[in-house]
Amino acid sequence: MVAAHYDVVVVGAGGDGPVAAWKLGEAGLSVLVLEAGPFYGNEQWPKPNEQPGAESSSSVDDLSGRLLDEQFTTRELEMIRKLVFGPADHERGFWLRKFPGDGAILQCAGVGGTTLHYTGCHPRAYPASIDEQPHWPVDYADLVPYYREIEAMCEVTPAPVTAKEELFFRGAAAAGWDLIDGLNVTEPGYRPQPNAIRQPDPRLHVDAGYDGDFTYPEVDGDTLALGSIAGHPFPRGAPYEEKAKRASNVSFVPAALRTGNVTVRPNAFVTSIETETAGNDHPEATGVRFRDTWSGRVESVDCEVLVLAAGAIETPRLWLNADLPKNEWVGRGMTIHFGDNVMGLWDAADLESSIGQDTVDQFQGQDIAARFDYPGLGMLQTVGTAPGIGAILGFGSSASGFAFENDPDDAPWDTLGRLAGSELKRLLSGYRRTLQVLVVSDDRPHRRNGVTVVPGVEDEHGPIPLVNYEPSTGDRQRRDRLAEIAAEILRAAGASHVHRSDSPPTALHVHSTMAMGKVVDEACEAYDVGRLFVADHSALANGVGGANPTNTGQALAARTADKIVERYFAG
Amino acid sequence: MVLHVRRWLSEVWERLESLLTGEKPDESDLDLYVEVTLRAVVDAVVPETPELADELGPEHVPGGLAVGMEEFLVTFVDDLFQFGFPHVGTRGNLPLSAPLVEVLDAAADALVAHGDNEAEPDVERVVALLGPGDPPARRVRRVAGTFAKLSRRDRLRALGILDEFELRVAPFGHGLFEFDAGLVGQLVVGFAEMIYYSEWQGYDDFSLPPSERTHPNDPAAVQSWRQTGYPGVADGYAALRGYVGTDDSPLGAGDTWTDIDGRVSIVRESGSFRENDYDTTGYEEPYPE
Repeated sequence: MVAAHYDVVVVGAGGDGPVAAWKLGEAGLSVLVLEAGPFYGNEQWPKPNEQPGAESSSSVDDLSGRLLDEQFTTRELEMIRKLVFGPADHERGFWLRKFPGDGAILQCAGVGGTTLHYTGCHPRAYPASIDEQPHWPVDYADLVPYYREIEAMCEVTPAPVTAKEELFFRGAAAAGWDLIDGLNVTEPGYRPQPNAIRQPDPRLHVDAGYDGDFTYPEVDGDTLALGSIAGHPFPRGAPYEEKAKRASNVSFVPAALRTGNVTVRPNAFVTSIETETAGNDHPEATGVRFRDTWSGRVESVDCEVLVLAAGAIETPRLWLNADLPKNEWVGRGMTIHFGDNVMGLWDAADLESSIGQDTVDQFQGQDIAARFDYPGLGMLQTVGTAPGIGAILGFGSSASGFAFENDPDDAPWDTLGRLAGSELKRLLSGYRRTLQVLVVSDDRPHRRNGVTVVPGVEDEHGPIPLVNYEPSTGDRQRRDRLAEIAAEILRAAGASHVHRSDSPPTALHVHSTMAMGKVVDEACEAYDVGRLFVADHSALANGVGGANPTNTGQALAARTADKIVERYFAG
Repeated sequence: MVLHVRRWLSEVWERLESLLTGEKPDESDLDLYVEVTLRAVVDAVVPETPELADELGPEHVPGGLAVGMEEFLVTFVDDLFQFGFPHVGTRGNLPLSAPLVEVLDAAADALVAHGDNEAEPDVERVVALLGPGDPPARRVRRVAGTFAKLSRRDRLRALGILDEFELRVAPFGHGLFEFDAGLVGQLVVGFAEMIYYSEWQGYDDFSLPPSERTHPNDPAAVQSWRQTGYPGVADGYAALRGYVGTDDSPLGAGDTWTDIDGRVSIVRESGSFRENDYDTTGYEEPYPE
């Protein structure tokens, strides 16, 4: 049973909340983590999408690799339907958020949050984005010890090379870029992804003639099959904690449970924040009310300190729906790494001479294992996808309309825009000879961008998030330059056809809606509400330069946990 | 256009009201209208392409209609979002397919009104999409809207109109509700493409609870997998080539498997990234705000 009072309540068991819970549990504090979505791979919920199951889990013995194997089929449509932000009950649709244009928000619900379908990419922020851009009140050096702690927990290592990474590296080198080998990136160049995915069994080398099963314990570590975006249970047969991808449910949740002080309650959607105002007019958080997503029953829990880690959309939504002081930056300044997709298609003979086989076979290897960094602009990364996700990411939408309406003329791409009809089928017929590059730009915080709520436009958890995003001229310039570099690299790698999507704003990475220095102080405690901390990507002061944000969000959450202990539980 | 959108919004509201009260409107014509329009969507987004037979092979001819994707699209769209009205229990999905096809017709009418269509709308295009066992052509002609009567290209052009279109109205009685018609384009192009190229066709029944679904994971059961060459999901591949390495970097070590550019190689064993010193004082904004 969940108790009526805890030292700390953490709202959200996504990428960052479990980091804070682990650190706070280690410090001896009692912690309740409330998560809106289901708990996959846990014996307390053997059919998490079909039956309410138990109430909570407090033991690492509940975790089951066998259940993860069953539930994470890696079939892309089924897994998107399971993981994207919505209730556990498979008969109910996604929770509605309003996003402008034909873009989309891709976040997950469930223990592990959006790390359930992240690709394990765990680079640090670009130091210049913290120390040279005007947004952060702390230095990059303050984060470095926490990066080390997180990277050790997540087992971050250089990603392995398969055919698609070799192809990209050949292109990047031929286009004149240098290799980067450092963790702290200050110059442009290419490198393997620092991935939080265990490296593959050496017996899976192409020369080793391995012909056995890809199941544990025959093989250990990653098995080089796509799966990160669509749930990653590899190696199949492995115990829960031996799964290769160190998503937060595999890395930090077991560590948190093992402290003996942490309870996780899934299927619990927090709808309001309780406060008390004593003596002065500065309210302090005292607990939350939450709704069981299966029964609809509303409950409450008290705490000494409240930590919001519901993600960069739901955290400000919760604040805005609670009776809390107004702050003009709550929900505002959102960055999403305004992105794009550039794709290369190769002739079979050219591939044969370049990488020794006549296909790229993007379904082999880790989903995202090669990258290009450019501090000040953002990053590029190769993306292996199954054809459905590849189609929606690469061709399904565009700010430039359909490709047949565009004449790119002397642009570095041959075609531009959304693809459908015979053009789509023709290009997808070359799926095994294509490679997509995801453009991820260092978009900057602008107050107009972010989350608002409107009374009356409500679901069962209150007014829904209305998300607005309009990139600035600089944001577009950074993205356009990165798209050109992507096209140059693909061309240098021998692509015979380059296609640019010109994607509409799509929120794969969402941050800076409760920014440090604006809504929360240097310890990530709210300026306007005492004992209320933010420990998720919304506290990031900007988009960390365009690098994948998980490492920085987790490092900051670890730091915030230390600050909580210092401020409220020391001695 | 605005009138059409109002009609669409009142349609949303009627559907929501019927959801709230549990009433079942007479839906036979509406269902046919939805199906006929989504058939036209599927025919435009993933069409039958006889012209690809000589170029790529006969397996590239059939499109989404050959596998009944329009029916799944109706279910998928109607179950995609929930609005969880607490007073009707914990469920309450938003049935979007009927209002969605109204928006498609609004866009098609706008395209024609602006004279941006390349071919005249023709109801016989709709009839041509009928197969054996379908309702009589007479009924289909009666319910078909402008969108379904357009050429394939013009249907796509009509979808393009929606991307820029936002509106503010108050369908929920109190307060403003802002909705992007761009969502419609995302559903009928982006999601339709994802469904078609995904594993969807291979399920015995996708509406079953996840733990009861079966999928053969075989391209023989998924037309789109045969068209892309995707082999299905796998537990692993012996595809490791090695790790990036150089003589003066800690990234990788061991025998060289292949050379990249004379300096960088793919080597047998992994090393690690350097915990390097960093200096950002020379940083310059490539594109200042």
